[in-house]
Amino acid sequence: MIKKVNDKIMIKISVLTLMLFALFILIININYASAQANTVCCEKTDSNLYCQNVPSSECAAGAKQAPTSCKTASFCKPGTCYSSTEGTCTDNTPQIVCNNAQGIWTEKSPPQCSLGCCVLGDQAAFVSLVRCKRLAGFLGLQTNYRKDIKNEVACVLSVQNQEKGACVFEFEFEKSCKFTTRSECEGPSANATGGVKGEFFNGKLCSAEELGTTCGPTTKTVCLPGKDEVYFVDSCGNTANIYDSSKVNDKEYWANIKDKSEACSPNSANANSKSCGNCNYLQGSICRKTEAGDTKATYGDNICSDLNCKNTDNGKSYKHGESWCVYSDQGEKDKSNNAVGSRFFKHICVNGEEVLEQCADFRTEECVENTLTVTGGSFSQAACRVNRWQDCLTQIAKDDCENTDKRDCIWKAGISLQRGVSGGNASGTTATGEEAPIQEEIGTCVPKNTPGLKFWEGNEVKGICAQGNAACIVSFEKGLFGGEKCKGNCTCLDDSWIKQREEICVSLGDCGPKVNWLGQKGYKAGFKTKVEEIKKDESTSSSGTGGGGGFGGLFGG
Amino acid sequence: MRNNYKENYARFFMESKGGKRGQVTIFIIVAIAIVGLIAATVFFFPQIKNFIAPEAFSPNSYLRSCIEPELKPNVENLAKHGGYLDPEGFIIYEGEKVKYLCFSSEYYQTCVVQEPLIKDNFEAQLVKIIQPKLDQCITNLKSEYERRGFSVSLAKAESKLQIAPGKISVAYTAPLTVTKDETVQTFEKFEVGIPSEMYELLFIAQSIVDYEATYGDSETTLYMQYYPNLKIDKRKLDDGSTIYLLSNAVTKESFTFASRSLAWPPGYGLE
Repeated sequence: MIKKVNDKIMIKISVLTLMLFALFILIININYASAQANTVCCEKTDSNLYCQNVPSSECAAGAKQAPTSCKTASFCKPGTCYSSTEGTCTDNTPQIVCNNAQGIWTEKSPPQCSLGCCVLGDQAAFVSLVRCKRLAGFLGLQTNYRKDIKNEVACVLSVQNQEKGACVFEFEFEKSCKFTTRSECEGPSANATGGVKGEFFNGKLCSAEELGTTCGPTTKTVCLPGKDEVYFVDSCGNTANIYDSSKVNDKEYWANIKDKSEACSPNSANANSKSCGNCNYLQGSICRKTEAGDTKATYGDNICSDLNCKNTDNGKSYKHGESWCVYSDQGEKDKSNNAVGSRFFKHICVNGEEVLEQCADFRTEECVENTLTVTGGSFSQAACRVNRWQDCLTQIAKDDCENTDKRDCIWKAGISLQRGVSGGNASGTTATGEEAPIQEEIGTCVPKNTPGLKFWEGNEVKGICAQGNAACIVSFEKGLFGGEKCKGNCTCLDDSWIKQREEICVSLGDCGPKVNWLGQKGYKAGFKTKVEEIKKDESTSSSGTGGGGGFGGLFGG
Repeated sequence: MRNNYKENYARFFMESKGGKRGQVTIFIIVAIAIVGLIAATVFFFPQIKNFIAPEAFSPNSYLRSCIEPELKPNVENLAKHGGYLDPEGFIIYEGEKVKYLCFSSEYYQTCVVQEPLIKDNFEAQLVKIIQPKLDQCITNLKSEYERRGFSVSLAKAESKLQIAPGKISVAYTAPLTVTKDETVQTFEKFEVGIPSEMYELLFIAQSIVDYEATYGDSETTLYMQYYPNLKIDKRKLDDGSTIYLLSNAVTKESFTFASRSLAWPPGYGLE
């Protein structure tokens, strides 16, 4: 019977706690909303930033303002800003910003911004027509724009299967040659040969003896834009096959196009190889000009440069482009006990260098990582993403709490946020001292990685940390011959109860007895405990547990 | 007579003894002079060469030597501040003003684009800086011709700066006619430039700004995988701002800008 009464009281208290917390959030929200209501859409702020929702006092003198959001204010409505010279389109741009930049503003994306496939020799870009003309101009090519190709993948694929070979033509009474595509050689504009139509030899190199051109083999090499490998160059400056020092004098190698898989060591990165230029970007090597102190190739000035990172901060080696999470500050991650000032880091391996990227401060972001299995090993990828801790405290069910699709929380079983006000406790004894079965639903949902708080300013933090305050009423029974015996909530007299409250407190954020990211303790304890005697009727009315007189154990930050 | 002979012989003997020492001294002096002459020739070779056989004066080379030293430091300076000489709407980062190319003063909101045409703006700012120097170089060129005895006719000039893939160039369209005796030379256009990968960096910055304005945050790893020479340092500050340092791993050029988008407050952010 007593157990049932206690259960009901527990539920009532839990509901009351949640209602109080909800009320707290509501009050703050109302304040926030009223603060928001004071903002206006300002065309230009006194910090010279355009179209910001700020208090009226922050608007620049003479700037337009409207008591509405900038998304709806006519002078700040976002649209597309089009550059007629570059052919680029930028979305989400207010009209005034676009006009100031000499762009053309439209509310909706103009037809000039529609994309098509721009064929640039053996490469392609999925861009607007004007942009295509611009790019073709830079490369000295005729504009070849295909509106019929509707997506980027199809655009890239369209140029990959182009026939390439030697384009032989007469130049100043000599038989010259250009290594190019069939369309560039025989097409109406014949770009490659300066307007002169040439004879195309598919799959042949210009240095092929049978073509009888002025071009021949050399020991020079080159790095090509958009290509990973080191290539031989013939005496006319045309690209030949992938550099292989053993093939310098191989007539066949200088006559026919060889695929990457037919070139030297095709399954290796060939990083810093003196003899092979078959670099592989996905494996961490790319063609680069050799600098002083670098390994030199047997022929030419280019080599497969090593882009992978060896012996990084955590002692492991990573491939170029891999990223991983690092949390090296004091405290523990994912256990609701992060140190004050600690943050997550994403490390990236780029060009043989380990680059650090901080996730947002105050642990508003956390780092997540995953490892993919790829051919020849694994590939680690990490990202900073928002720490979704905000509604942890309002979850009363374990399943809701640990729903990782919605939030980043953990369930502290057996500990109630306001535990101790009632007669129950974590160990499962009732106010009357009877053993109660541990109920699975008793527990607290707390942030997996505690949020950082600006505890040195404002009152919001006090409100958040105050959620950890608790009172535990211990009841005593006077003995017949004097003395008294503890009857209810006796465990609150142990240090373990204080430890438990500390645990809740530190789980809420930068509250309670925490250390900073360097492991240094604060100047204060971070909490206070108070023991005081309360009258029998007070104890009865607050807890409803009956019994003799009691001591109230209070815990607060 | 005999005595005279003896005296003369003795004098000769004496002189030739001391003369040997003198000879050595002369040899040393001559050697030093030769070495000095060679050193001077090596050191002042271009001037000497010009003096002996005056080189044909090239206005293009003259302008190149005059303008090119101005370009690189000014490009670097602009790039440090997000493409502005004296940016408005900036954040101070490591003692430098860094322009916000996208900004939202609010929490939970994606940013509003503050500079939609980053490359065009960079060109305009660079022109503004180097135009006085450019004009001065043209004036100096005219003076140089006049000093060489040419009469010079220079029409009103028009300059155009262009940031293109792989280079930054300044084209100066100024019909210049120089006349000396019966020799008339006409120049229509001068073009000088420096190799630079700034074009690529500026368009990547543009793409990041687009990304931030649409989604709130950019994924730098993708850019770095796509552009092999690119390095992006993304630094998140405690007020929710992000500093982007884009650099080319090969040329070491860099471009820095700031953004504040989809900032999350500490706590509930209700104050």
